[in-house]
Formats: sequence, structure tokens, C-alpha cells
Amino acid sequence: MTVHNLYIFDRNGSCLYYNEWNRKKQAGISKDEEFKLMYGMLFSIRSFVSKMSPLDMKEGFLSFQTSKYRLHYYETPSGLRFIMNTDLSVPNARETLQQIYSNLYVEYIVKNPVCVLGHSLDSELFSSRLDSFIRGLPFYSPRAA
Amino acid sequence: MADESLFDFLHMEIVSHIYKEQQSSKEEMDNKDRAVCVSVLESMGFRVGQGLIERLTRDSPSFKDELDVMKFVCKDFWTKVFRRQVDNLRTNHQGTYVLQDNKFSLLTQLSNGKQYLDQAPKYLAFSCGIVRGALSNLGLDSVVTAEVSVMPSCKFQVVVQKL
Repeated sequence: MTVHNLYIFDRNGSCLYYNEWNRKKQAGISKDEEFKLMYGMLFSIRSFVSKMSPLDMKEGFLSFQTSKYRLHYYETPSGLRFIMNTDLSVPNARETLQQIYSNLYVEYIVKNPVCVLGHSLDSELFSSRLDSFIRGLPFYSPRAA
Repeated sequence: MADESLFDFLHMEIVSHIYKEQQSSKEEMDNKDRAVCVSVLESMGFRVGQGLIERLTRDSPSFKDELDVMKFVCKDFWTKVFRRQVDNLRTNHQGTYVLQDNKFSLLTQLSNGKQYLDQAPKYLAFSCGIVRGALSNLGLDSVVTAEVSVMPSCKFQVVVQKL
């Protein structure tokens, strides 16, 4: 039961924040390339999902899973994208991502006069609160399954 | 009570606007520019404080002495304006008072320690003005300054001017 890592992108594709808690294997490319790959892939998946949908789409792309992990996606109305990789025991982290947005991002970044929206998130207060929030999640445990 | 974020966002923008205006002509801000920005913010706060105190003391009885006025500022006034009471009031009984607020509402979202410490004074100037304006309309001329060492805790020093 665990959270592997978390990405926050803005609507232009820049990665505002990245943190990992339990990542055993790196991607083998530089962090910049990894962020570009993540954003680009999600952009394509979302447009693919909406094109191929046999019914009218409501939320669109929510998550994908492999035999080892699941990637959860949440996009806010303002275009902010939250991506979290967890293990397979977490069926739906959408609400968690929504809470991260409203209780952490809005509180500590939007309401912080020094943080410029659209730049990477430097606030230590945000990082530490996010860290305790993640560690406090019911599906988080320091030792991966 | 209106949503607190309304004032928070407006205050953030006021501070940012005043600093941008002052900087528009040159590249770097020197200390004189910073002092101008701080005093503009403080005088805005002064007028706001004057108005606020008139409204908040509409129904209160008159105050016995200076200490009573300061206690009112620390309790009722601070609660109405900054949503909590001052944690600690110290005085030397000779006109100097130190009000300590350990979770000052305009600093709580900034940081929880030392990060952004150099930016904190910008966001305290307006509040110093509010306190000075409030005291002025209660009959006390004063000089109000604020200092921060660890956010979000800050100390406001009030020196009452004797005639």
C-alpha cells in the first residue's frame, strides 16, 4: 500500500512540482525529459480517449494500470494537472488529488503572495504539508508491498 | 462575515502593485524605494484602521486608561480584523507595548519558519497602519513597527507618543 510519486503540471506543460516517496526504479532519462514525456504522453492519451470514446465523455481519462502500479490523473478546471503513481491497492485516488489541490495547493501556493503562479513551487511550507498529507494517507506505508 | 480570502487576495495584490509601481522607472529597488512603498502601505492601513475602530467601538463603553485601550486592541479588535487574539502583550508601563501574535493571519500561508523572511515586512506594513489608525482614533498617537524572526509569529511594537 503505497504512493510512489507525484507530479504537478500547469496548463502549459511546465512541471511545477515533483516529489517521490517510494520509487525503486528511475526512468533512465533526465528529469526534464521525464517531465516532458509525462506531460506529452498524458496529452496524447486524453485526446485519444476522447476521440475513441463510444459514448459521450464525462471526465475523460482517469487512470491506467500495469501489473505493478497505477497512475492516477486529475485535472482542475484551471488547467492544473495532478498525477500520482500508487501501487495497485489504491483503486481511485481522484478524491485524494482533489484534496491536494484544494487543501494544499490553493491554501499554500495560491494564497502565498510570494509564489508566482506558473513558476515552480518553492514554498517549503507547501512541501512539508504535502509530505505529511501523503504520509498520513490510509493507503500509504513506508515499505512498498 | 465575508470570505476571508477576499481581503487576503486584495492585500497581496495591493502590496505587489505598490512595489511594481515604485520599481517601474528603474531596474533595482534601493532602500529608499522600499521605504516609500512601506510608508504608502502604512498610510493606507492608517485610514482603514481609523474607519474600522469607529465601527467596532460603536457600542462599547469608553476606556479607563491606556492599558485598557491596548487590551481592547489585543482582544476584540484583533479578533475582528485578524481572526484571533494577540497571544502576548507586554509593556513597560511607560508607553511602550509589544503585541505578539504567534500565528499572524497574513503570514500563515507564507512559510512556517525562515523561508521568505526577507519578504515578510512588505506584508506587515499595512497591518501596522491599521493598528496605528485604530489607536489614533481612540486618542493615542503612536508609532507602530513590526518584526518577524520566525514565521508566522510576529511582534508589533507600539510606542505611544506623549504630548
